[in-house]
Amino acid sequence: MNALHFFKPELLWLLPLALLPMISYGVKQFNFPGLEDWPKDLLSDWLRWGVRAIAALTLVSLIIAAAAPFTEGGTVTKVGEGAEIVVVLDRSGSMSENLQSDNQSINAKPVSKIEAARKVLLKFMEQRPADTFGLVAFNAAPISVAPLSADRELAKAAIKSAESNSSGFTALNRALAMGLDYFNGRPFTATRLIMLVSDGDAVIEPADREILKNQFKQYRAKLIWVYVHAGVEKNILDSVIAGDNEIITNAQKQEVEINQNVAMNRLFEELDIPYQAFEVNSEAGLQQAVAEIGRATNKPTRYEYRLPRQDYAIYFYVLTMLLLGALFWLKQIEIKAWKA
Amino acid sequence: MAQQPLIHYHVRWRPSGHQPGASHGLVAGIGDQLRSVVLLRDNPDPRRLDLRASVRDPFENIWVRDFNLNSALKVIVLVDTSASMGYVGKVNRMHVAQEVASQLALSAYRSGDAFGLFAAGEVINKQCMLPPKANRGAWLWVNHHFSKLTPQGKHADGLLQAVPYLPQKRCLVFVVSDFRWPVGQLKLLLKKLSHHDVVPVMLQDPAEMDALPKSGIAILRDVETGAGQFVWMRAGLQKQMQDLRAQHIRNVEEASRLYGNKPFVVKGAFDTALLTKYFMERST
Repeated sequence: MNALHFFKPELLWLLPLALLPMISYGVKQFNFPGLEDWPKDLLSDWLRWGVRAIAALTLVSLIIAAAAPFTEGGTVTKVGEGAEIVVVLDRSGSMSENLQSDNQSINAKPVSKIEAARKVLLKFMEQRPADTFGLVAFNAAPISVAPLSADRELAKAAIKSAESNSSGFTALNRALAMGLDYFNGRPFTATRLIMLVSDGDAVIEPADREILKNQFKQYRAKLIWVYVHAGVEKNILDSVIAGDNEIITNAQKQEVEINQNVAMNRLFEELDIPYQAFEVNSEAGLQQAVAEIGRATNKPTRYEYRLPRQDYAIYFYVLTMLLLGALFWLKQIEIKAWKA
Repeated sequence: MAQQPLIHYHVRWRPSGHQPGASHGLVAGIGDQLRSVVLLRDNPDPRRLDLRASVRDPFENIWVRDFNLNSALKVIVLVDTSASMGYVGKVNRMHVAQEVASQLALSAYRSGDAFGLFAAGEVINKQCMLPPKANRGAWLWVNHHFSKLTPQGKHADGLLQAVPYLPQKRCLVFVVSDFRWPVGQLKLLLKKLSHHDVVPVMLQDPAEMDALPKSGIAILRDVETGAGQFVWMRAGLQKQMQDLRAQHIRNVEEASRLYGNKPFVVKGAFDTALLTKYFMERST
């Protein structure tokens, strides 16, 4: 497991080149009449072999570095507590509707659904440091905002930047598919969760249902729908919502909405996947829902963690640099002309 | 060849040749040193009439003065052409040797002395032999032949082979070399040349002695053996090296003194005035 490997072992055939300094020093030569009485100088003799050794070592080190030695990192078994959560955030126009506030005082500013969702999701992220987050935002088309990664700042920034924007219909099925796609190619190390934060308003085609179902099965993911809705006393004038740009009466809309949402709930139940729905119509409610999700996913998971392989080339390169520095110094003190 | 003052070599012994020259000779002839006063019939030269001696003689003989001939010397230069002589430091050692030889050739001719030259590396170089003769163009001959000489060979034992070519009578012999020879080799040569007046001319380069680099690393290659030596010059090693070179000079002096000589050390370029000074010091 810890045996030394080379990325380019064929380069090691160049190692005999390290014998070159034994043939020639590369130090300037001068003629001298009669060396027979030249004093025996130990320091010179040592340096003579030192120069050869340094030059040879430089070559050896450079060749080994070029061959890129490494050891396999191996694997460790880790117990994780976190979950891999892909937040599928609805940023359709309807999410900009205000939530009814628990606090009925005058000062209380109305909070839009998406704003509340953002706030709570951020808090949720802070409470759960072991989790891995990813974010898909969607309205007419899903946008891969933040991939699943341990980079918390990225996920947070992604959530903060999610603004609602009306642009026609809501592509829920594609958003879910993209969210599931995040799990592609990742080892199953923790509870997988698709956290759909939406206020309904979407339909899934029967053809897509089968695909979604298979994908949920394949990725062993859980679906949680945090259903954010504004309650009954809705702003009547707020008529241009998701869907077609038609003027719909309040009553009609209400009815359609309820119908749609009930249908969606039923649909998810029918998908035959681990599914949980939370209905949230206020900020406090959303928090409660999030807390429950946390509890549900707090199971420890055991997973194999592959350590990255250890690369030693850098050490050899550093050694080469040091030796080159020594050679450079020797070249500097070389006598260029034999004179005082 | 740069114009340099002539070398005024002076010897304390008397050359025995009959060729007129500048030194006090041994044989009778025209000179400036009174040898004896002889009867006119023994030396029939009325120009040398010694009036005082003739007047004082109660037998009224006529006396004439007899002088020692001012004879010519024979100046021989033996040049070591082993590989170490090809060393080029601050100066080209072979050029220095050439300068010494040609200046001596010129000065010898000007003094009316004979000049001869022999060069040898491991064996004597027969292409570069000049028998001792009064030779006006000797310095040109020297320049011509030295330009064709390539210093080679690991030792200078060939100089011993040159000894038989030298005149049997006493000459002034300059041995031009760096004397980086094995111990005893110089003594052997000096012994073989012991009936001559030998001046070892020791060539040295500042680059191998006084002007060593103070610090740094280099490889020194022995020009004779080809052996390499890795050196890390430091103040300590530099000092050690200078001491060793000074020791080398002392060793040559020591060996020369055994045969009554004193080496003339040329540091860097050759200056004829210094050689003249050397002879003046030596004569006192």
